[in-house]
Amino acid sequence: MREVYVAGIGITSFSRLEYPLVEIAAYPGLMALRDSGLKKVDHLYVANMGGGRINGQTGLASAVVDHMSLTPAGAETIENGPASGASAIKQGYMAIASGMHDVVMVIGAERMREANPLEATDFVATLTHPQAEYIYGVTLPALAGMFTRLYMEKYGVTARHLAMVAVKNHKNAMDNFYAHLHEDITIEGILDSPEASTNNPYVADPLRFYDVCPVSDGGACLILATAEVMKKINKPMIRLAGIGQATDTHCVHERKDPTELLAVREAARQSFKMAGVKPSDVSVAELHDAFTILEIAESEEVGFFKKGEGHLALERGETQIGGKIPINPSGGLKAKGHPVGATGVGQAHEIVLQLRGEAGKRQVKNAKVGFTCNFGGFGNNVVCLTFIKE
Amino acid sequence: MELNIYAYKCKRCGELHYPYKTICKKCGENDHNEFDIVPLPKKGKLLTFTTLYTLPSDYEVVTLALGIVELEDGNRITGQLDIKNPKIGMKVDGKVEVVRKDLYKKHLGMIFYKA
Repeated sequence: MREVYVAGIGITSFSRLEYPLVEIAAYPGLMALRDSGLKKVDHLYVANMGGGRINGQTGLASAVVDHMSLTPAGAETIENGPASGASAIKQGYMAIASGMHDVVMVIGAERMREANPLEATDFVATLTHPQAEYIYGVTLPALAGMFTRLYMEKYGVTARHLAMVAVKNHKNAMDNFYAHLHEDITIEGILDSPEASTNNPYVADPLRFYDVCPVSDGGACLILATAEVMKKINKPMIRLAGIGQATDTHCVHERKDPTELLAVREAARQSFKMAGVKPSDVSVAELHDAFTILEIAESEEVGFFKKGEGHLALERGETQIGGKIPINPSGGLKAKGHPVGATGVGQAHEIVLQLRGEAGKRQVKNAKVGFTCNFGGFGNNVVCLTFIKE
Repeated sequence: MELNIYAYKCKRCGELHYPYKTICKKCGENDHNEFDIVPLPKKGKLLTFTTLYTLPSDYEVVTLALGIVELEDGNRITGQLDIKNPKIGMKVDGKVEVVRKDLYKKHLGMIFYKA
């Protein structure tokens, strides 16, 4: 198999974007082309989850490839729920590693705010089991709420730990121009003060407003290329070294221990094994914190900390920029935003910035190995990527 | 007639499935996909729960309590709760009732009450 490198990157703001989905996909593509200095690509993968349902736009990749005047390059839309982004990157990797293509553009794009918030939540809720979960009114926040309650009971995680994740990620997002939320929140404001219950009401008890990611529009792009192509362009050699993917039961209630995220564990294990690194080698990680509890749980499942000790490492500041393993320097889904289909590509974008040393004020020093965890459904389809700076 | 939620019991190994699957998760036998339909028990204990404050648009209530219940036979089910102060581990009793209404249909599912 051939080695695969990141030749170019691009991103839009993750926020409310008042232009069509196809442009949300095309602009980061344009930025990535400029970044790489390339003019043409052999193939396009476009990750998107809600185009057909929310924006009335099916066959997004066909629309994007024409909008960018890249025809007759092949193009496919990839839908794998909130893990669509990393799944599309995986497709791009396979296309290059196999020898089929030399330059592949991977875009993730989503425009969720065209729907009202209730419709957007309901759209994401269609990820749940139609007969055994969805009909009861189960949404992703509901599953996360039930998961959080178990986690609190079993491991002693408290509302304060959850708030600490939110505060950390909001602080990181302050230095990220493209982040959705530029709100420097405090523990006092969301938990301790008399106004806290108004500022931070329950969404899915015990999860509150600031434990949940915003509904975002946004797009991101990675151009992947062979070592041969990289020789012709003058860009840092960031190698996509490891990919892992695993699934778990559709219904959360079917899991033997519902506090375990086995798909995260397995996807991370595969990704590290393929890259030939250990979790302790990782210098910076982007984890899928659609809910604050998930950053804690995933930091354990991927192997940064022992099961049940993620919140203790958080207390010690190990996951801050400057800590032992900085998590979500971009602000994470929590504050950078969560345009579902684009998120996995957005995570990879941040890791490439960090490994290149181009992350500005939120730069993690001497970042050599970067890791992303893109979490689909409620952990029923997870894709983990490992990037290495050469 | 008493309404039930049904589980699917593999005719070969006896493994119970809720919800339905095409292939048995235990024996993986795929030269048949035959299951006996058996009603799930309605008594159990509450494994975890949440109160949801942001509901899908077709609900006319302000909040919705949801939970996962471990039933007497060890199977688990997700359902709605009609319980004032739910606690993890409490005993509950289920009834099959309307859990969601949309324009065209009433959906039946399990609602749990304090036992």
